[in-house]
Amino acid sequence: MSALGVLLKKELHATFTSPIAYAIGAVFLLVMGYTFSLTLFFTKVANLTYIFHQMYVLLVLLVPVLTMRAFAEERRTDTLELLLTAPVSTASIVLAKFLASLALLAAMLAASLAYPVVLGFYGHPDWAPIYGGYLALVLLSCLLVSVGMLTSSLTENQVVAAAASLGIFLMLWFADSAAYLMPEPLDVFCLNLSLIGHFTTFVRGSLFLSDAGYYLTLSILTLFVTTRVLADR
Amino acid sequence: MSDRSPVIAARRVTKLYGAVPAVRDLTLEVERGEILGLLGPNGSGKTTFLRMVTGYLSPSTGTLTVAGHDTVGEPMAARRHIGYVPESVPLYPHMRVREFLAFMARLRGVARSEVGRAVASVSERLAVADVLATPIRALSRGYRQRVAIAQALVHDPQIVILDEPTNGLDPRQIIETRRLLQSLAGERTVLISSHILSEVEKVAQRVAILLRGELLAVRSVADTPDLEALFLSLT
Repeated sequence: MSALGVLLKKELHATFTSPIAYAIGAVFLLVMGYTFSLTLFFTKVANLTYIFHQMYVLLVLLVPVLTMRAFAEERRTDTLELLLTAPVSTASIVLAKFLASLALLAAMLAASLAYPVVLGFYGHPDWAPIYGGYLALVLLSCLLVSVGMLTSSLTENQVVAAAASLGIFLMLWFADSAAYLMPEPLDVFCLNLSLIGHFTTFVRGSLFLSDAGYYLTLSILTLFVTTRVLADR
Repeated sequence: MSDRSPVIAARRVTKLYGAVPAVRDLTLEVERGEILGLLGPNGSGKTTFLRMVTGYLSPSTGTLTVAGHDTVGEPMAARRHIGYVPESVPLYPHMRVREFLAFMARLRGVARSEVGRAVASVSERLAVADVLATPIRALSRGYRQRVAIAQALVHDPQIVILDEPTNGLDPRQIIETRRLLQSLAGERTVLISSHILSEVEKVAQRVAILLRGELLAVRSVADTPDLEALFLSLT
């Protein structure tokens, strides 16, 4: 097993035995189950567009709580010094924490697959927006977790890390609104920075490389910056 | 690297925090199998120097080599030779002792097939075998210190670095830690820091005295009958 594998095993164990993970999972599934049932009974329409937007909101609110400990806790307890003086690359440490958080979100999303199964069983849903929606949620999770890890790497205070992540998520969410106030070409830049703008196209069932590229590029860039923050001592 | 070359070599090392120097123009060599004590009051730059040797901090200027490897140019190669116990004794409280030692062994490159043997051997030596199944959060201060030293030795490193290893220990634990460090002499190179002169004097073969980031003197303990007087005169 490589150093990344050893670190990932430790992070997965820490993530999946943490009460925070179970609280986040429980809140997510309870709220989504309630919303799904309510929407289905009222509209009698076999699509998940509304549900995907609910998941989007919940992820924006819950991911800061999930990622706030990542580095802030290691910094506070000085265990970060143990990791950073071991013969492993900083990138491996960052990637292990990123993948462990992503695994928890993937497990939550996997549990929510019960909703399309129910729709498929009782109705005839259009599957393209459902595939697109789940792909968008995975890509969104990558970006949110990477930003959450960056803020956690900048402080040893978990609350500060969570608040900073939430602030960044909300700024990105409403970036398209700010576009109306900006002169050219900044308006296009703000429009393209929008978290929700790239999400909505997936949920409609349209797949554009530019939308996937937005999430992947920003995720990779943020993970790289996190690595540099930790390496710069 | 030949057997006669220094295991740790610092040449004109300076570490700046902003414009403030924590370590200034420090040149020091540590020989193979030697126990060298860094002595100085709080804020003298001992921890900063140790952190540079471990690769946790990078020198602002100067070069530092560990087992012939530059700590900035070849950090991974340098770190493989080091076992390190930071001053704050950082451990993962949710892990059991066995799990923690196995994790640190794997992280430091011990082969999976060798981990069990390495953990058993180091836990026997550090007298923590009876708490291997105990969660770290349930351990006393003395046991935590021993587990911290065990994680530094589990991969059988050439160099062991301990920052204030007797801080917060009771007299019995201090004696045990001292005996352990003395037992490492000859087989490993040990670098320890302390602000307690009597502790360093009992363990180290040489002492390096630091003040405000500057190296004031390096003396053999055997050749310096009144280390206390020397320390007072320099600081």
